[in-house]
Amino acid sequence: MAAVMEQSTMPAAPEVRIRNLSVAYQTSTGLFDAVHKLDLDIPKASITAVIGESGSGKSTLAMAMLNSVTFPGSIRSGTIEYAGRGDIVTFDRERLRRFRGEHAAMVFQASQDTLNPLKRVGAQLLDLARSHGVKDKRKVLREARELAERMALPADRTLTSYQHELSGGMRQRVSIIFALALHPQIVLLDEPTTALDVLSQSHVLEIIREIHRERGLTTLLITHDMGVVAELSDRVVVMYAGRIAEDAPSRELLRRPLHPYSQALIRAIPRLTGPLDDAQALPGAPLELRQIPKAGCVFRDRCPARMPVCDTGTPELREVAPGRRVACHLEVTP
Amino acid sequence: MIQVVNLQKTYPGTRGVLARGEVRALRGVTLDIRRGAALALIGESGCGKTTLGRIVTGLEAYTGGEVLIDGANIAGMTARDRRAQFRKVQLIPQDPYAALNPTRTIAAALFDPLRLLARRGGKDGAWIERRAVELLRLVGLDASETLYKYPHQLSGGQRQRVVIARALTVEPEALVADEAVSMIDVSLRLGVLNLLSQLRRDLHISVIFITHDVAAARYVAQDGQTAVIYRGEIVEMGPTDDLIQRPVHPYTQSLLSAVPVLHGLEQAGPDRFIPRPTEQGESNDSSSCLFADRCPFADDRCKAAHPDPEPWAGAPDDRLVACFKPKERKVVAVPLSGRASNQ
Repeated sequence: MAAVMEQSTMPAAPEVRIRNLSVAYQTSTGLFDAVHKLDLDIPKASITAVIGESGSGKSTLAMAMLNSVTFPGSIRSGTIEYAGRGDIVTFDRERLRRFRGEHAAMVFQASQDTLNPLKRVGAQLLDLARSHGVKDKRKVLREARELAERMALPADRTLTSYQHELSGGMRQRVSIIFALALHPQIVLLDEPTTALDVLSQSHVLEIIREIHRERGLTTLLITHDMGVVAELSDRVVVMYAGRIAEDAPSRELLRRPLHPYSQALIRAIPRLTGPLDDAQALPGAPLELRQIPKAGCVFRDRCPARMPVCDTGTPELREVAPGRRVACHLEVTP
Repeated sequence: MIQVVNLQKTYPGTRGVLARGEVRALRGVTLDIRRGAALALIGESGCGKTTLGRIVTGLEAYTGGEVLIDGANIAGMTARDRRAQFRKVQLIPQDPYAALNPTRTIAAALFDPLRLLARRGGKDGAWIERRAVELLRLVGLDASETLYKYPHQLSGGQRQRVVIARALTVEPEALVADEAVSMIDVSLRLGVLNLLSQLRRDLHISVIFITHDVAAARYVAQDGQTAVIYRGEIVEMGPTDDLIQRPVHPYTQSLLSAVPVLHGLEQAGPDRFIPRPTEQGESNDSSSCLFADRCPFADDRCKAAHPDPEPWAGAPDDRLVACFKPKERKVVAVPLSGRASNQ
C-alpha cells in the first residue's frame, strides 16, 4: 500500500517504457502499421488496461512487449525498455527466451491452444522449470498446487490432467499458474476472461487482483470489455487503429471520458439499470489495417464531433491533466 | 408459438477408458413462448441453455417431454411435416464468421433459400433479388454495398446482420439467437441487440435470446420474459426488468453480482456478494436443491429436498422461483447520482 501511495505523489521510473513503437504487417497490398508510433509508460505495481476493438492493435502491442511478433508482422521501429533489463527489441534469442517467463509472462486469450495436448499439466510445468534452469523443481510444483487450490481447482487432479480434461474456465486458471510459475515481475494478460461466462470471469478477476497485490506485480491487461477495465485496472489506455486515443485513470475515464471514441465506447455498454435508450451503438465499424488513413484523425469517419481539421491534421497525444492524455483536436477540459 | 413441456435431454454416459456418467443437460423445462414475444434464457456455460435452443430449432433430439410448435406436437409427425414446422423457427448462431461460407457472396447465401421459396410460390428471378434487397434493408444493411461482397469484406456486426437476414428468408415465426453478439465488436453489439428487438416488433416474430450476459438479455427481452437456467432447470422466471431489479433466487443473484461494476459510473449494489466458483464433480443427485453446494444461504432443508418452481409471494402472478428461501436482494449496481454527462 505504501508503495502505491508513494507512487501517486512522485512519479517513479516506469517499469516499462515504450517509445515510438511501430509494428507493421506485410500484406500483399503493402506494409501496414498495426501499432503506430506509440509512446507508453507502464508504472510499477499498477494494473494498466489497454482497451480496444478488433484492429486496434492491442494484442499486437502485447506481443511486441515480449518481442514475440511473428511473421508477417515485425517491429519496425521504437524501443521497449524494461527497468533494469534494457531494450527488449535488441535482445538476442537466448536472452529473450530467458526474459520471457522469468521477467515478464503472458496469459493468452485462447489458453487451450497454449497447452500441449499430449502432456499432463504437471509435466509441462516441470518442462518449463527445467528449460529455465530452476533448481528447486519441487517448489514450482508446490506453488502451483497452492495456486490451484486458491483458484478452486482440485490441485492433484489438475496437475495430472491433460488439457482436454479441463473446462475452459479451468484451463484459463491453469494458464495463470503457468504464467506465475517462474515469479515474473510483469504479467501480460491478453483477454484473460473473454472465453469465460460471467461467474467464472468474476472469479478469475478476483484471483488476478489478489495475486497482483500479493506479489507486487506490474500487470498489463488487454481487453475489449469496459466492465473488466472498471473492475480491475487502475489506469486505462484506449486504443483505436493502432494509436492511443486516450489514456487516463480508469475511474476518471468512466466518469468523464474526453475522447469522442471513449465517450462512444462507454455509451455503447449494455447496462443493467437506467433507461435503455441511454445506451447507443456507434455508427460504422472498426477500421481494418488497410483502411487506416495516413493523414488526419483515424477515428474521424465514426466521430460525431468531426471538424474540417480532422481530415488533414493528425491529432497529437497531448497531456491535458497529470496522468491524462488525449489525441483529439477538440478543446477538452478534464 | 413454441411450447416445451417438461423437456428433458440426457446424454448417455460412455464406458471404457474415457468413461463418464450420463449428463442430464435438461431436467424438465417448461416454457411457453407466444407469437411476437421475447424470452431470454440466461445461465452459465453448460447449464443447458444451448441444448434447449438446439432442440426447439430441430437440430437436436430430446429424450423426454414434449415440444409443440403452433400447438402441434413434434413427436408424432412425419419427417416432412416436422421439417415444415421447424422451418418456422430459425437459429442465429454465435459465430457469424463460421456461419457464412467464405467462398460465396452474400447474394449467393441469400438467393439459395429464396430460390426454394420462389419455386414453391411460383415467383420469378426478379422477385428473388428484390426480396434479398428488402431483407438486407430490414437488417439495416445497404444492399448496393453488401450484396456482391464476400463475408470477409464485412465487419462482424454486418456479418451477423447477414446471418439474421438469411434466417428471415424463409419467413420464420421465431428466431433463436444463441450468444449472437459475443463475437462482435463492442461498439457494434448494441446495434445487433436493438435490431433483434426491432425485428420482433415489426415482423411480429418471437425471439428466444440465449446468453450469459444479463445486460444484453435486457436489451432484447426488455418487454418480455427472462428465464434463469441452472444445471438444466429453470430456477427463476419473470418479466425481464423486474427479474433483474428484484431477483429472488440466490443463483440469479450470483449471476447479477458477477456482472462487473462500472466504477466511476455506478457503485455495487448493497447486497452484492461474491459468488462461489463452480464446484467440480457436482453430484447428479436431484433429491436436493442443485444449487445448494454453492449457495451462500443454503440450510439443511435445501440439502434434503428439491424445490420446484412456484409463484413467488412477492409477485405471485408473474414470478416463478424454485427456492425454499426466496428473498429479494439488491445486487445490481446502482448508477451514481450526479454523474457527469458524456458530452
